[in-house]
Amino acid sequence: MSTWKEKIKHANSRGDFAAALMLLPSVVLLAVTSIYPFFWLFRYVCYDYNGFIAYYTGTHNFTRMLSDTTFWKSVLHTFEYAGLKLIFILPLSLLLAVLLNQKLRGSSIFRGIYFLPTVISASIYSLIFSFIFAVFNGPLNIALQNLGWISKPVDWLGDVNVVMFAVVIVAVWGGLGNYMILFISGLTSISEEVYESSRIDGANGIQTFFNVTLPMLSPVLKVILMLAITSAFKDYESIMVLTGGGPNNRSHVMFSYIYKLIFSSTSTPQIGYATVLSIVAALIIGVITAVYLFLARKLDDVI
Amino acid sequence: MEQSHTVYSTKTKCIRLVLMIFLIAVAMLIIYPIVYIILGSFKENSELLLGGTRLLPRKFVLDNYVQAWRKANFARYTINSLFLSSGVMLLTIFSTSMAGYVFARKNFRFKELLYSLFVAFMFVNVGSVTLRPLFELAVKVKMNTSLLSVVFISAGMGQATYIFLVRGFINSLPKELDEAAKIDGCTFFQVFYKVIFPLLKPIIATIGLLSFRTGWNEYIMPLVFTMSNDKMRPLTVGVVMLRNSGDGTAAWNIMFAGAAISVIPIVLLYMFTSKYFMSGMTAGAVKG
Repeated sequence: MSTWKEKIKHANSRGDFAAALMLLPSVVLLAVTSIYPFFWLFRYVCYDYNGFIAYYTGTHNFTRMLSDTTFWKSVLHTFEYAGLKLIFILPLSLLLAVLLNQKLRGSSIFRGIYFLPTVISASIYSLIFSFIFAVFNGPLNIALQNLGWISKPVDWLGDVNVVMFAVVIVAVWGGLGNYMILFISGLTSISEEVYESSRIDGANGIQTFFNVTLPMLSPVLKVILMLAITSAFKDYESIMVLTGGGPNNRSHVMFSYIYKLIFSSTSTPQIGYATVLSIVAALIIGVITAVYLFLARKLDDVI
Repeated sequence: MEQSHTVYSTKTKCIRLVLMIFLIAVAMLIIYPIVYIILGSFKENSELLLGGTRLLPRKFVLDNYVQAWRKANFARYTINSLFLSSGVMLLTIFSTSMAGYVFARKNFRFKELLYSLFVAFMFVNVGSVTLRPLFELAVKVKMNTSLLSVVFISAGMGQATYIFLVRGFINSLPKELDEAAKIDGCTFFQVFYKVIFPLLKPIIATIGLLSFRTGWNEYIMPLVFTMSNDKMRPLTVGVVMLRNSGDGTAAWNIMFAGAAISVIPIVLLYMFTSKYFMSGMTAGAVKG
C-alpha cells in the first residue's frame, strides 16, 4: 500500500496529473467529435435507417450502391471537378507566386489581395457568385453580351454543359490565394545564390524557372500537391450553395449527394445507405492519395 | 535594393510592364465579387433586379441594411455568428495551448501514438455523414437547442493543426525557462500558466484568428443543427436560407446586405492582421 501511495506522490510532484488534466479537453473533443462519429458509421451499414427506426436489410445497401447510377455519376463528377480545379489553380497560383517572389513593386499588396478570398466563407462567396452568374440580370452575362462574345445569355448554373465550369471558376477564385501562399513560402526557402549562379550561366527567366526553381521546389511541391488533391476531392460546400447538385444532378459530387441523402428536407433520410456511400467515398479518396504518394516517390527515383 | 539603380533594357521594361498588367488584372478579378456585393448592398432593389455592369449605385440607400436588420432577423444572425466564432476561438485557444504544452514538454507512455491519433483523424474525411451521430448525441444531452454544440464540434475538428502549431512554437523556447521556474517552486501547471503562456502571444494570435475565421465561416454544420430553429442561425446560414425561401428572388437587396454584413467584418479583420493569417496557413501546412 505504501509503495502505491508513494508512487502517486511521486507522480504528483512530477506533474503527471496536471498534465493529464491539461490534455483532457483536447482528448475529449477529439473522442467526441472525430472518433465516435467514425465508428458510428459502421453501425448502420446493413440497415435502412430513417432517423427513428432501423430495419435490418442485409446486403441491400451494397447491391443498391452498385446499381445507383446517380452515385457513380457523382463519383465521375468528383473526378471531373477535382481535375479541372487542379489544372487551373495549381499553374496559376505557382505563376503568381513566382512573379510575386521577384520583389516587384507592390508585391505585398498583391499578395494581400490574392489571399483575401480565403478569409471569406465558401457559402457566402458562392452566394455572391450566384448573383454574378444570374441569367438575365447578372453582371457576367451582361458584360459578355456588351463585349459581343455571346449572343444570348448563358445559364451558367442551369445548363448541364457549362455548370461544371462555373463551379470550378468559383473554386479557383476561392482557393487561389491558399496555394499561392504555400508556393511563396516554398520559394523563399530557395537561396538567392542559386539564382545568382544560373544568371551568371546566362539562363533567362523561363529557363531558370524550369531548370532551377521547379527542381528546387519539388519537396514542397509534393506536399502542396497532396493538400490540393485531397481538398479538391472533399469540396462540396460551395456546390451545395451554387447549384445544390443540379441541374439534373449534373454538378453532384460524392459528398453533396451523400448530404442530400441524409439531410434533405424533401425526402426521408436514408442514413444507412448514406453511411455505405460515405465509407466508399472515403476509400476512393484514400486510394487516390495512396496512388499519388506512390507516383511521387517513383518520380523521385527517375529525376 | 542595389538592383533598383540598374538601367534596364527596353525589353526587360516591356516584360515588367506586361507582368504588372497581368498581376493587376488578376487582382481586379479577385476583388470584383467583394466590391460588387458591398457596393450592391447600397443599391435599390429595382436597380439590382434590373442588373447591369455598373458598380456604383445610382441612388445610394441604406434601407437594405435597415430592412435586413429589423425585418429579416439579421441582428439575431449577427449575434449568433459572433457567439459561434468567439466560442470556437476561446475553446480552441484554451484546449490546444494546454495540449500543445503537454505534448512539447512532458514525456509519457503512448505520447506519439496519441499525437498521431490526432493527426490521423485530421486526414480521415467522411464528409457530412458524421454530423448525423453528433446531432443525435446533441439531442440526447439536450444541447441541440443551443449553438454551443456547434462550437464544440467546430473546435473539436480543428484540434490537430493548432496543437501542432503550439507544440512547434514551444519546442523553440529554451527548456531552461521551465527548469528555472520549477526551481523557484512552480508546479507543472504554474510553469505553463505563469511562464510559458505569456510567451505564446504570437502563436495564440495566429490560432485565435484562424479559429475565429473558422467559426465565422462555418456553414454546413450550423445548417444541419439549425434546420428547424431559425433563432439559432448564424449569418452564413441565414443569408443562404433567404435565397431558398419563397420570396428569395424578390429579396436581392436584403441578401446583398446580409452577405455584406457577413463579409465586411472578416475582411476588415484581415486587413489589419493579414500577416498572422498567412503565416498560420503556411506553418500549418508545409511542415507536415
